[in-house]
Amino acid sequence: MDLHLTQEQALLRSSAAKFIEAAGPKVARGFREQDLGFAPARLRQAGELGWLGILVSESAGGSGLGLTELALVLEQAGRGLACEPIGLAAIAAAALAQGDTPHPMLKRVMTGEALVVPALQERAYGDDPQAPRTQAVARGGAARLTGQKVFVCAEGADGFLVSAASDDGPVLCYVARDATGVTLSFTATVDGRKLATVSLADTPADLVSPHPSSRNAVDALHNMALLGLAAELLGVMERAQQMTLDYLRLRKQFGKLIGSFQALQHQAVNIYLRVEATRSLLYQIAAHNDAYRIDAAMAVAAKAKASEAALAVTEACIQLHGAIGFTDEHDIGLYLKRAMLLSSLFGNAAAQRRRYVAVAGLTGAA
Amino acid sequence: MFHRDTPAEAEFRTAVRTWLEANLPVALRGRVLRPPPAELMPWYRTLSRKGWIAPHWPKQYGGMGATLNEQIIMTEELARAGAPPLPVQGLNHIGPILMEFGTDAQKARHLPPIIEGTVIWAQGYSEPGAGSDLASLATRATLNGDHFVVQGHKIWTTWAHHSDWIYALVRTDPQAQPRHAGISFLLIDLHSPGIKVRPITTIANDDEFAEVFFDSVIVPAENLVGKLNDGWRIANALLGHERLGTSNPQFSLAALDSIKTMAQATGMIADPGFQERLAAASIDVMALSAMFSHAVELTNNAKSLGPEASVIKIFGSELLQSLNELLLEASGGHGSAARPVATNFGAIDVAGSFFQSRRVTIYGGSSEIQRNVLARRVLNLPN
Repeated sequence: MDLHLTQEQALLRSSAAKFIEAAGPKVARGFREQDLGFAPARLRQAGELGWLGILVSESAGGSGLGLTELALVLEQAGRGLACEPIGLAAIAAAALAQGDTPHPMLKRVMTGEALVVPALQERAYGDDPQAPRTQAVARGGAARLTGQKVFVCAEGADGFLVSAASDDGPVLCYVARDATGVTLSFTATVDGRKLATVSLADTPADLVSPHPSSRNAVDALHNMALLGLAAELLGVMERAQQMTLDYLRLRKQFGKLIGSFQALQHQAVNIYLRVEATRSLLYQIAAHNDAYRIDAAMAVAAKAKASEAALAVTEACIQLHGAIGFTDEHDIGLYLKRAMLLSSLFGNAAAQRRRYVAVAGLTGAA
Repeated sequence: MFHRDTPAEAEFRTAVRTWLEANLPVALRGRVLRPPPAELMPWYRTLSRKGWIAPHWPKQYGGMGATLNEQIIMTEELARAGAPPLPVQGLNHIGPILMEFGTDAQKARHLPPIIEGTVIWAQGYSEPGAGSDLASLATRATLNGDHFVVQGHKIWTTWAHHSDWIYALVRTDPQAQPRHAGISFLLIDLHSPGIKVRPITTIANDDEFAEVFFDSVIVPAENLVGKLNDGWRIANALLGHERLGTSNPQFSLAALDSIKTMAQATGMIADPGFQERLAAASIDVMALSAMFSHAVELTNNAKSLGPEASVIKIFGSELLQSLNELLLEASGGHGSAARPVATNFGAIDVAGSFFQSRRVTIYGGSSEIQRNVLARRVLNLPN
């Protein structure tokens, strides 16, 4: 089902689609060999188009739009396998803008001249985003952090938004990449990109003050990240679905188009069901939540559904392509790999379901 | 979950809720199986007198002329109050079909008794040899001057043994190719001579179904709906009428509540493996709510809801089924109980609810047929 969009939203979507057309699998493939896995110039272009400040209020120099608009742009980014971290930069900008006085980095993040990314995860499984183990010793608007963050999309980053525990509960801090006590170690992903473990040893940081409507700054950023990733995952599976349907309409065996075989048709419909369910869920949540106070159960549900669906869909797409789908040469594999990356970030489907149990109170404890 | 009532809608919702609290007989609440007509029809007529029996019908035919949102509110509040399922063949099927394709005389004769609840309708589509392959149906209607002579056998006919009339697809041109070009749509009085009705007991141990035998039944020619041999189009034109209604997430939300209550009662709620399955199910119910709200939004904004909306039917019916599988699991050792299982929050008819959910992926076009249709019409896959 198509979305019911305002004229402005439809325009935004088509301009994002146009921007992304210049990316695509071929470009994504090229970045696999590079030290830096994306084009900084393209990130700046995204900034010029207003997408990195999409959630930032107009008074703070942003576009002042909402989660629907963010999702529309990121869905296209997913479709085009864009390598530029548009989503992470956009939500980092939103986080930097949330206090009374925006953080000094905000402007450069919104223009794409600087890249700041969230660093919230601490474990492969079982993180409670509201109870980080990284410790913050706060003094005025500043803090010193000690701890370790994992699976950080640190490639090309100039700084991080780090969650930490303080005497006053969870706090969000800005840490410059070159700050004292920061060490990074990178590991490669299947996607040809790199994730970093960021170690902090008594590292100086700025406290990011929360938006008045938010539960706290960590909660706001974390839930935005879940929704942003869900939007990108949606785009990934949509494009993989489209490629697979094209193939089913083209490939012949036994003298017939393979798309005419019922066994394959039903698999194609199962793909379609997953895509449609994810799209409706994502956009209804986007339409009914404010960026700084997304219902936790909804954010978790969106990421759980999108993560599970994107893996299932891209796996099925490989199967429907047959042997050619298993080659590196064919693009369909790139979609599976991107789905693997995005679904594992900030908690995979199983981790989200576990969190859902907690946030929705399914443990039976009164 | 995603819909927000306008102030007027909220007022309507409160009015419906209050009225249902006061007027829905306690004995009818929370019934999983459809009560027999002697119990159910007085409630039908109570709703009718209130003017609420047909929210989706235009006012000129005795309906409420309600907006889509008001219709949804009615469905939700009826479900919330535990109201029993009503016979819907008249309200949801033949009523709207006659409004669109019927003659003035047919409308005048048949619509008022549906509203009043004085006539019950059955649907005569399936036959022993024509289930998923409905177009192969063989019940013959031969035009003989001013009447048809009907000979044949219909089956899986919901409530036929309680019904007064049946609308049936009948073969009027045995030579027609394709086969569905030789089918007509006929209204048949079930009290006519030559008709025999035999109830069929289901695995849910109810007798919702029946089979209907037609032996040289005389049907006046004026009971033909639309043109001769145009029955297939007429039957299919209305398939969409019910699509949104049956996929209301309210039923899945209610099932989720039963699962939680049952899992509390048995202690399974403390099992982390069960918790994760419950979380997955809850997330899927949220997704169904989203799909439903999405479809309603498109309909309200006059975007045509094409065949892609049947995605909701598949998703919703398969979800309801898997929720009932989870309910059965949550009930543990009570999983074979023939009667409702008592809990601290009321009795839950585990088996009854489970059995009910087995039919939702079969009737109205099985999930497999729905997939065939989606593959061709929406995904444009080749024949």
